[in-house]
Amino acid sequence: MDNKEVTLLKKALERQKKARFQAEKILEKKSKELYDATHHLKEVNDRLENLLSEKTSELDGVFINIVDPYVVMDLQFNVIKMNGSAKEFLGYDSEKESLNLSSLVHPDYMEYTAESIQTLITVGTLKNYRAKIILKDAEEKFIQINSSLIYDKNGKPIAAQGIIRDITQETEIKHLLAEQKKELNIIVENSPMGIVLTIGGKIIKTNKAFTELLGYSEAEFKTLNVKDISLPEDMDASKELMDQMNSGKLDHFSLVKRYIRKDGTSLWAKNSVSAVKNAKGEIEYQVAMIEDITKQKLLEKQKEQLLKELENSNKGLQEYAHIVSHDLKSPLRSISALASWIQEDYKDILDEAGNKNLQLMQEKIGSMDSLIHGILEYSTANSSALDNTEVDLNQVIKEIRESIFIPDHVQLVIPQALPKILCDKIKIHQLFQNIISNAVVHIDKKKGLVEVLSQENNTNWQFTIKDNGVGIPKKYHKKIFEIFQSIGESERSTGIGLSIVKKIVDRYGGEVWVESEPGMGTEFHFTLDKKSCSVQQEIE
Amino acid sequence: MKILFIEDDAIETMKLQRTVAKLPVKPAIVEAKNGEEALHILKSGDDLPDVILLDLNMPKMSGIEFLTVLKADDVLKYLPTVILTTSENRADLLECYRIGIAGYVIKPLKYEDYESKIQKVLAYWSINEVVKG
Repeated sequence: MDNKEVTLLKKALERQKKARFQAEKILEKKSKELYDATHHLKEVNDRLENLLSEKTSELDGVFINIVDPYVVMDLQFNVIKMNGSAKEFLGYDSEKESLNLSSLVHPDYMEYTAESIQTLITVGTLKNYRAKIILKDAEEKFIQINSSLIYDKNGKPIAAQGIIRDITQETEIKHLLAEQKKELNIIVENSPMGIVLTIGGKIIKTNKAFTELLGYSEAEFKTLNVKDISLPEDMDASKELMDQMNSGKLDHFSLVKRYIRKDGTSLWAKNSVSAVKNAKGEIEYQVAMIEDITKQKLLEKQKEQLLKELENSNKGLQEYAHIVSHDLKSPLRSISALASWIQEDYKDILDEAGNKNLQLMQEKIGSMDSLIHGILEYSTANSSALDNTEVDLNQVIKEIRESIFIPDHVQLVIPQALPKILCDKIKIHQLFQNIISNAVVHIDKKKGLVEVLSQENNTNWQFTIKDNGVGIPKKYHKKIFEIFQSIGESERSTGIGLSIVKKIVDRYGGEVWVESEPGMGTEFHFTLDKKSCSVQQEIE
Repeated sequence: MKILFIEDDAIETMKLQRTVAKLPVKPAIVEAKNGEEALHILKSGDDLPDVILLDLNMPKMSGIEFLTVLKADDVLKYLPTVILTTSENRADLLECYRIGIAGYVIKPLKYEDYESKIQKVLAYWSINEVVKG
């Protein structure tokens, strides 16, 4: 070996030594690091183990102390663990007998249960599972379960845990409420009256009748205020009543007002509004029952209109009768005056026949005048309104006695005081006068007697005018009450008087008839219905 | 005595004139054919009448219209006005008394009866004191 070679070898050895040293150094450092790491890991592990055991005992405590039934089961529904509450509730003890939860589920809820489990496995949790189960003692219960999966260290689900809540009572109440609500809804929805629930004017709920009445849908109504469907001119009245209700003065009120339909037309409605109060006495809602009275209103209006027209036409007719009678009477008065003057001024020239003719002319003028008078009276008897006041009939007869012609041999007497009755004084005067003036002039006896008698019956007053005159043949007993039917011999008899009698008696809901024996006398009877003899009977 | 006689019918006027002619003391009669003419006479400045006899049914201005105007006038309202009419219409009667009249006489059918009624009316007013504005 040469030197060069030795040097080379030495150098290589040197390098080797150096490298080994370096490797040892690295190894030593790594060992130290490894040791440290192991040590650290051990510490962490210890801490974790402690933590775990702490948590486990904590959980055990929670588990025991959970008030609600708590169950842990495997994925085949076999119960692994259950708390006291669960044992008590379900009636089973998984420590004494094996228990598969699926066997408890009511057949109706099998499908739903299967779906729910699927959800639990996919999602990991299951909230608000509700089903009916059958307990050991065969009792059925509604339960609610919130559940979650338990996984092993590889993240594989191995079990599920859940808290059971007994919601039987709650469910039953809900069912009952739902049932009642359904019944109530049937009533409300089928009511022919509109029903509206409001809070301070805001529409909360409406029924079918009301939506149909106004043409808005229920959803549209919910955006509306009562004001939106009312006419502005009706608002004052309803606001006043609402204010009184809100201040507690009123619990209920009725109001007739108009509503505006969706199409802009309006209708009349009768509203019955009630306050719905809570336990504290505060108003929660106003509920209004609404009845469409447009038709009634229309009829009422038509009736009013007709009455007004009738009144006007009656008034017009009466005025017309007066004008016609005036216009007929005036020339008659002129003719009569002229005839008198001829008689007076030319009495020396006129012969007996001329005088006689003028006399006849005056008589004809006289009968024409009474005819005009009679027609006027007849038309007023029919058309003018009855103005009923308390009338003393004794006074009426007294006035008649003073105003008509009574022959000297005839006496008009009232054997027993007549009553005071409610009637139209002018018409009652006409009534008595027409009968009495007929009676007094048709008496051929030496001493004539005309009596006015009265009698009170249950429903009417009955009056009799009795005379001892010539009498009326039976065949005329009906005919005499017809207009223009005169049976008297007198030229001045117009045949209107008794038809006026009949007309007035008719208006007082009464009857008129005659009893008579020719040669002996006549009894005129008539009745006046008490109901018609009242102050209310103003307009016919 | 001075009478203002408001009447559109000629024969009615003749009736009054004839009645008055028979009186021992004849009142002066001023004739008017209707209410307008009567007002014209009353406003002319001549002596006012002691009494007015007024018919109701007249053309142009009716008796009631005339009466209304008369009673609204501060001076003329004192003139006693007697209605002379054939109208037995109670509504007219009430309306006349409401406005203010001194009497309401219905013209009878017979001239003799007319004469007697008019004589009484004139006799009554001839003994009365009147305001005359």
